[in-house]
Amino acid sequence: MRVTSLLPDIQYQMQQSQQAMATAEQQVSTGLRVNQLSDDPAASANMVVSLAESANIDQYTSNVNSVLPRMQATGSALSSIVSSLNSAITLGTSGANSDLQTDQKQAIAAEVQSDLSSVIAQANTEFNGVYVFGGSETTTPPFVAASTTYNSSQGSVGNPLTTSTALTAGSITAISDATTGQTMTFKAQAGDTIATLQQAVTNAVNAGTLSAGTTAAIDAQGQLSIETNNTADGIVVSSDDAALGTMSADPTTAVANAYAYVGNGTVNSVQVGDSLSVATNMPGSQLFTSGANVLGSLTSLINALQSGDTNQVGAATTAVSSALSYVSDQRVPFDGAINQLNSQESYLSDEKVNLTSQQNSLVGINLADAASNLSQAQLDNNAVLAAAAKVMPQTLLDYLK
Amino acid sequence: MSLNASLSIAVESLNAASGALQATNNNIANANTPGYTREVPVLVSEAPISIFGHGATVGDGVDLTKFQSVRDELLQTQIQQETSSQSGANAQLNALQQIEPTFTTSSQDIGTEMSAFFSSISTLSTNPSDAGSREAVLSAGQNLADAFNTASSALTSQQASLNTLVTRDVSQINQLTKQIAALTPQINALEAAGQDGGTLEDQQNQLILSLSKLTNVSITQSNDGVTISTGSGTALVVGNQSFNLQTTTGNDGMTHVLDQNGMDITSSITGGDLGGSIQTRDTAISGLLTQLNTLANQFASAMNAAQVSGYDQNGDAGTDFFKSSGASATISAGTIEVAIADPSQIAASSDGSSGGNGNLANFTAVQSKALPAGLTPGDAYANLVYQVGSLTSNANAESTATTTSLNQLNDQLSAVSGVSIDEESANLIQYQQAYEAAARVVSTIQDLLTVTMSMGTAAAE
Repeated sequence: MRVTSLLPDIQYQMQQSQQAMATAEQQVSTGLRVNQLSDDPAASANMVVSLAESANIDQYTSNVNSVLPRMQATGSALSSIVSSLNSAITLGTSGANSDLQTDQKQAIAAEVQSDLSSVIAQANTEFNGVYVFGGSETTTPPFVAASTTYNSSQGSVGNPLTTSTALTAGSITAISDATTGQTMTFKAQAGDTIATLQQAVTNAVNAGTLSAGTTAAIDAQGQLSIETNNTADGIVVSSDDAALGTMSADPTTAVANAYAYVGNGTVNSVQVGDSLSVATNMPGSQLFTSGANVLGSLTSLINALQSGDTNQVGAATTAVSSALSYVSDQRVPFDGAINQLNSQESYLSDEKVNLTSQQNSLVGINLADAASNLSQAQLDNNAVLAAAAKVMPQTLLDYLK
Repeated sequence: MSLNASLSIAVESLNAASGALQATNNNIANANTPGYTREVPVLVSEAPISIFGHGATVGDGVDLTKFQSVRDELLQTQIQQETSSQSGANAQLNALQQIEPTFTTSSQDIGTEMSAFFSSISTLSTNPSDAGSREAVLSAGQNLADAFNTASSALTSQQASLNTLVTRDVSQINQLTKQIAALTPQINALEAAGQDGGTLEDQQNQLILSLSKLTNVSITQSNDGVTISTGSGTALVVGNQSFNLQTTTGNDGMTHVLDQNGMDITSSITGGDLGGSIQTRDTAISGLLTQLNTLANQFASAMNAAQVSGYDQNGDAGTDFFKSSGASATISAGTIEVAIADPSQIAASSDGSSGGNGNLANFTAVQSKALPAGLTPGDAYANLVYQVGSLTSNANAESTATTTSLNQLNDQLSAVSGVSIDEESANLIQYQQAYEAAARVVSTIQDLLTVTMSMGTAAAE
């Protein structure tokens, strides 16, 4: 075969070896075998999936770190509540002694009152701006001292509200009943008036959400007055309707030791794994007012001690014991969730390491291999250049005289 | 044979050697000229003549009949075809390499933004009442929409660039076919005179090679000259006539190629820069864009379905999370944007309570649930990444393979038609010696003539 010029082949070979050297150099400097999608399309696609999994793991870890302290604070509050209940049981047991004088029982009642206050304080535990026992209503204290009457700030004798006064569409008026432990939430629609709200209250009474005798009426001051005739427990009313203004409790109608739950029964779950979610809160209604009724049992014990009836004190103390058992039972799955979060945190940490390792194997390159590749590429390039330098200058003309 | 006849042979020999030197000189001069085909002198022995009337014959010298270019038509055709393939692969590679970074993992690619979006939703689930977390979800949603917009823009911009290339290539094709046709009469005239087309044919071949870089062409030779048509049969050159291609913008917004009769031949053009550009624009990028739009549309629909199944912070039923910014309500990668402006409108709650997070599970479920197209959003994007990488990698492999093949073919053609300086140097000596020998013959005959002329003179003395 005639060979006319070696130059094109030499140039191509130099380009190839220099390209190989540039690739090897890039691998050494970046530590990556795959620097662009076309270097390894399958690895690049798997990398996308792996990075998404990594982001999820990071987020699950972040979720654990976010909810765990709050749940631990909830657990701590539960411990305090258990202590308070144990204290109340001890006090109730001693108060059931028929030899005690009335003033001694009053003193014990005062101590139980202190325990109740402590339980209420714990029930209104706030952690980083979140009231932990409010269900999903986390921005306001869930337990509020109840009164029998609430009045609107709007309305006066000269300019009274009427049943035809229009309510603001989208506004919410809530009535929480300390007796039923439930809340009636009324969201005004366009065209609704105070008469509509009144009907909603009547409906709620009929449905058992509110105690019998709960009414909404325009009082002599021209204000909307929401009342209950249940003087033992009372209600808590709130509204963001500008037509009503602020609903305030009539201070003369405050009910001693009565607290209405203004939170809700929603349990929020947070995902901490691809297929693992944990309930992160325990609604106060579930813990304090339903079941063995923690607050009710403490209130009954205080009343029994104040009345001096030994039998009632004994029965009330038994009720507090039941409440303690109930709280303890409720606490078991919650503590279990906290333990699960601790385990999950450790699992996520391991999983993160696995994913990082997987990503390294997908697109990374062992430094020793990269350095070896670079040396080989340099060697090849030197060989190409040396060969080119040898053959390029050779011509017949060098030998012709 | 007379001395005069011998002198005549010597002169022919001088001319032949001189002509051969001329050919060698020209070969050396064009050793580095692209497309030049080496020429060799065609020397033919003159018919023998009878001498001295005894029937004895002797050669009557040499005749330099013509200079012949040393060609291999088959190799040239293969090179043209391979050049077309290489240019097509390079066009695809160049275009795909420009969109590759858009789909490479970065702080702003769709995959990263999608993860960030789901992370923000997950963070919100830990404290659904937190205004900052709600704002972060909207922000991450818009970042994801922006990433879709950017990717869509990268693809459509590349299509627009390829439209410009199509117009430019067609313009160059028209210029080349005109030049090729213009050379045909001159080549035909030479061949009619029994001469080789020589450098004119070299020029025409070089123009055809340039044409092959632009599109795949089919070439046939006839008495009228060269006939060139596109791979699908559209005539470009017939003898001394050339036929222009035209461009027009189609209903799809793309630049289409029309033949001289106005027929749309876009889809039948293959190979070369034009074919590669059209194929990348209409097949590769168009396919990617369709998948990207499907992903954006189905992802937005899934998120909207999750949003409307819950309640916002005000207790109102959720409204669409994403919408189209375009005239059409259909959401695509280019038009996707966040539909809500108020963070409280994120429908986190499933029961209408302001702090509920029950519905956020429906949001996060979108991440692991297959879209109607059959893949989860993450897998669909990964598939898109794979395809971009695979298309680029294939174009790269095709480019490398055709370059290697073309190098081999060029080596083979060079072996036949290329100029070897060493060989020409040897030829130079050979023809120089031939010239010197012929000159010596002339000198000898001159001496003999002198002797002959002085024969009578010497006797008289």
